[in-house]
Amino acid sequence: MRIATRLAGIDLEDPDGARQRLGDLWRQKPAVLVFIRHFG
Amino acid sequence: MFCREQVAQLRDAQEEIRARGAELVIVGNGAPNFARAFREDFALTGPLLVDPELRAYRAARLRRGRVELLSPRLPFHAIRALRAGSRQVGVQGDPWQLGGVFVIRPGGELAYRYVSREAGDHPPVQDVLAALAPEAPALDEREGTSRARVWLGHALGRLVDPLIVPSFDRTGFRIHALRFAPEDLDVDLSGRRCLVTGANSGIGFETARALADLGADVVLLCRDRERGAEALERIRSETGSRRVSLVQLDVSDLAAVRSVGAKLAEGPVDVLVHNAGVLPDARIETRDGLELTLATHVVGPFLLTRLLEPRLRASKDARVIWVSSGGMYTRRLSLRDPNWEGRAYDGALAYAETKRAQVVLAELLAKALAGTSVVVNSMHPGWADTPAVRSSLPRFHRIARAILRTPGEGADTVVWLAACPKARSWSGRFFFDREPRRTHLVPGTRESLSDRRALWELCERLAGEKT
Repeated sequence: MRIATRLAGIDLEDPDGARQRLGDLWRQKPAVLVFIRHFG
Repeated sequence: MFCREQVAQLRDAQEEIRARGAELVIVGNGAPNFARAFREDFALTGPLLVDPELRAYRAARLRRGRVELLSPRLPFHAIRALRAGSRQVGVQGDPWQLGGVFVIRPGGELAYRYVSREAGDHPPVQDVLAALAPEAPALDEREGTSRARVWLGHALGRLVDPLIVPSFDRTGFRIHALRFAPEDLDVDLSGRRCLVTGANSGIGFETARALADLGADVVLLCRDRERGAEALERIRSETGSRRVSLVQLDVSDLAAVRSVGAKLAEGPVDVLVHNAGVLPDARIETRDGLELTLATHVVGPFLLTRLLEPRLRASKDARVIWVSSGGMYTRRLSLRDPNWEGRAYDGALAYAETKRAQVVLAELLAKALAGTSVVVNSMHPGWADTPAVRSSLPRFHRIARAILRTPGEGADTVVWLAACPKARSWSGRFFFDREPRRTHLVPGTRESLSDRRALWELCERLAGEKT
């Protein structure tokens, strides 16, 4: 399965509690998706 | 400090990223309050998301573990980050999780992938920007299945397949997986309704979760409402899918199968997975007067299939999958006292006999439905570390624990049979690790034609379909 397919259905919260479906991030334009280790 | 160094670099490149028509999205694994402080520290203006359960990290196949953090390169990364002015202010999240960077284009095309090998291992920002150029090629996500890898998978498979260990175990899965084509499951199951019995744990749960992850409408059919609700919540949370529902059903209870089957038949049915299983110590009789294993593995699923048959026939691509067991290899189809009324009860034997019956029944149903849109296959998952194995076969579990497959590995072939377009090329076959296999390995286990006919008649009679 492609990485984008695996990620697309996951929805995460922003720091204010708003939910964001990952697949929507690259629906219109490319996304540079950066996973950081932690918020340290 | 490494995360701060990386984010500072990317923030500085944010305008260039936007100038290339893209958006910078940062995902971290700490709590929202830490993310808020982080956003303020860096004056981030793009999306910042929190993933405390590491769902997206796992889906992106990022590395995690203590060993990954112990690298001889670590001191060099630390010196570089300190020189750049970054300082560690505490670990706000999973300390063992590593990061990565992906550039994903509309349509899901992957233009860049960087999986960090250790803390402080980040890709050069210039490489990320280069991947945003319109002429940058897309990555081939199938690179893991080189011809050499597939050849090696087949060669090693031929060596281990005549054996039980390593074949049914986790080593067997890894060997067989060498020849798996990742694109087989690169499918969108949106609009397909999949029913999975026994979906609250083990292979049923993993099957349901994987199908939900591929976009299917999944109905969990569970005997225990509470455990089913827990599974439902977990699948919804882990896949982000809202198209998962729960229906209480004990497949050994024929009245319940009739009533629930009628309700299920009000909607479309594209995939039906017969996974529910039991392995009792003593003979238990259902309210229909059937021995529990026979009712759960054979009669109930047979009845459910017949009730849903009009809906399955109406689907353009319907699949029925019977989750059998490698244990069925040891038994011949037995129709002498299938209800265990005249012989001393042996749960393991009852299990193996009914698992053999499932394989034969799948063949008979495939024949009965030949020429329709419905394909029927059976499979065995190998030895997987499931709650059912732990509770029903504690001795086996204790001895074999170290070599058991994960439930996800056990469910892999079920998902493949349910989802892969080319899997519908077969009907009436028995699968293991995505390949059709022989159904008889032990001499004297081949059933006669009259036994096969008798099994069908028995199912019809016991299910009340024919008197």
